[in-house]
Amino acid sequence: MSQDQTAPGAARSGGASSELGATRIRDYRKLVELLLDNLVWLMLIIVLAVFSIAIPNFFQIGIFANIVEQSTFVGVMAIGLAIVIIAGNMDLSVESVAALTAMVTGILFCSRGIGLGITLSPEWLVIPVSLAICLIVGGIVGMLNGLLVVRLGMNAFIVTLASYIWVRGLVVAISGGRSAQDLAPSLRVMAIETIAYVPLIAWLAIACYVLFTFIMAKTPFGRHVTMIGGNPVATFRAGIKVDRLVLITFILAGAISGLAGWLLAIRTSGATANLGVGMLFNAFAAVVIGGVSLKGGIGRLPGVYAGVLLLSSIHTAINLMGLPAHYTQMILGALVLAAVLIDTLKLQIRQKLA
Amino acid sequence: MQRLWSLMIGALAVLTIVLGAPAFAESKGKIYYLVPTLLDEFQTESVKAIEKFLKDVGYEPVTLNADNKTDLQQSQMNDVIALKPKAIVLAAVDFNALQPSIEKARAAGIPVMIFDRQITATKSDLTSVAGTVEIGRIAADEIQRLLKEKNGAVKGKVLQVLGDPADPYTLDIQKGFEEKMKAFPDVKIISLPAMQWEASNAGTIVADQLIANPDIDLIFVHAAHLAVAAVASLEAKGKKPGDVLLVSSNGAPVGLDLIRKGWEQVEVEQPLYAQAAAIGMFADKVANKQEIKPGKYKVLGLDSELTIESWGPNLKIPGAAITKDNVGESRFWGNLKAPSEPVKPVE
Repeated sequence: MSQDQTAPGAARSGGASSELGATRIRDYRKLVELLLDNLVWLMLIIVLAVFSIAIPNFFQIGIFANIVEQSTFVGVMAIGLAIVIIAGNMDLSVESVAALTAMVTGILFCSRGIGLGITLSPEWLVIPVSLAICLIVGGIVGMLNGLLVVRLGMNAFIVTLASYIWVRGLVVAISGGRSAQDLAPSLRVMAIETIAYVPLIAWLAIACYVLFTFIMAKTPFGRHVTMIGGNPVATFRAGIKVDRLVLITFILAGAISGLAGWLLAIRTSGATANLGVGMLFNAFAAVVIGGVSLKGGIGRLPGVYAGVLLLSSIHTAINLMGLPAHYTQMILGALVLAAVLIDTLKLQIRQKLA
Repeated sequence: MQRLWSLMIGALAVLTIVLGAPAFAESKGKIYYLVPTLLDEFQTESVKAIEKFLKDVGYEPVTLNADNKTDLQQSQMNDVIALKPKAIVLAAVDFNALQPSIEKARAAGIPVMIFDRQITATKSDLTSVAGTVEIGRIAADEIQRLLKEKNGAVKGKVLQVLGDPADPYTLDIQKGFEEKMKAFPDVKIISLPAMQWEASNAGTIVADQLIANPDIDLIFVHAAHLAVAAVASLEAKGKKPGDVLLVSSNGAPVGLDLIRKGWEQVEVEQPLYAQAAAIGMFADKVANKQEIKPGKYKVLGLDSELTIESWGPNLKIPGAAITKDNVGESRFWGNLKAPSEPVKPVE
């Protein structure tokens, strides 16, 4: 009897403790998942803390503002690249597209070198007009890439590699290898005026991240793009127009790269034929470090932005330490490897947690 | 009918030979110019200048662009050797890597002229250079003058923005510059490279250093297109022309524009037109494998000296310091007024 009397109590207490244990495991799992999802932000905080302690002159508002400013171009470029990769494709043309739109901006609105010095009245009109031109030019290249991939079924890697080459060739052809300088002051304002120590161009990049993070996370478009990257066949069978969405991702990547080129021209007050060279690899590194899977279907844009900030922090630290630039490339390579390794580990940890 | 056709074709062939003969007679043969890249203004203008001066003396110039790729330039050398031209003009992507290709060409009986980027490790048939080390030295002289004017003595802080650290061109300028600055221990030099000669990289370096070292007196950048980005960063930090002194090298149009606007104080010019004119002037001697005599030569009015070095005849044309006082002179290639007078072969 006593056993009968105690058994329900024991069962209750056992049930409560097992429920408590389950809650603890759930909390632990949530914490681990949160850490895994935001690992790159954690890395960024640690790196900034270490640099602030170890490098003289690093810990100051001006340097942090510089890091944000320097993240602008690769950061914007990485948005388009990340979207295409999340959709399960590849776009190697982003760097050359940015160079093209920078040169177009330079030729049209610079007053020296090969610049035509076009002026508009009122002067501020140059901002929306030049921006629209860059978005359209970038969008056209992106559409060409997309059509070749979607309609002709060509491999995205090859198509965009070809674009990477021919678009850079076009930059050299339209510039004749010469440069444009002295950009219209009404455009330069974007690089000179600051809000909270950060130039307007960098705020624009941050706004792009906010906008596209919302689009990718909260709209059907974003969810469908992620689904396509995960399993295009299943997505197609679910009645989603896969081809149309893939085409849109390429157009978006082109247009966003066009925006990156516009910002680049504003920052450097013109354009040279080799402007932006090497940025593709930084953008790729940022995307991978930011947790976007090259297999598609996985990735969040805030992580990509953290990846870009991390790279810029390392570049800045190397500048301040006066280390030879080769170290940047070595560290960059090591970081990409580490990111891929962490990605693999994350998958294993998640499987264990499940 | 068949006979009539044969006659017509025969007449056409004769006409072609007769009409075509003078054209062939005028050309002394092909000379290939292997340009390292077309992504900078110096190289782009060098193509125009070398082609013009080679045409002046009767050769048919053909230009091949290596896109800054050593392996591509090596392949181009192999291809050109197979075509047996009268000579090759080489501006090497990589000074050392092209050495075997030069030796191969010369062994095949094809003379090689070195343009702008000096190669001393092997023999060549003519070298026409301003001397990249010399450019660094001229820049050092000018920087000493500017620092003395600003600080009362040769002292202060100099930010040196190099080009790509893998490019011997920028390393040579650095060598010449730092050699001459060693005598002034009160000058602190911070040297950082702009990877791949990319302008925004230079802008980033300047932006960072202006915060970490706000007492920078002078910025020395190794190419004018990098100076544009440096100025953009200075402007973004609220600086006015002259607040931070600026010196650049290569004499590109953008650098001259910055001098006119007051942002830049000195541009050390590479005498592109004279270097290219020398190629035209000595082309006959080189192609015909005649002796080139050492001594003084006037090249587009510049006093130049030809010496016989272990690597062959070496024509050194002095670079010039461009300031706001002489920036308008047409002899500077940055003004893009290529000489219209044809050059004449050296007797």
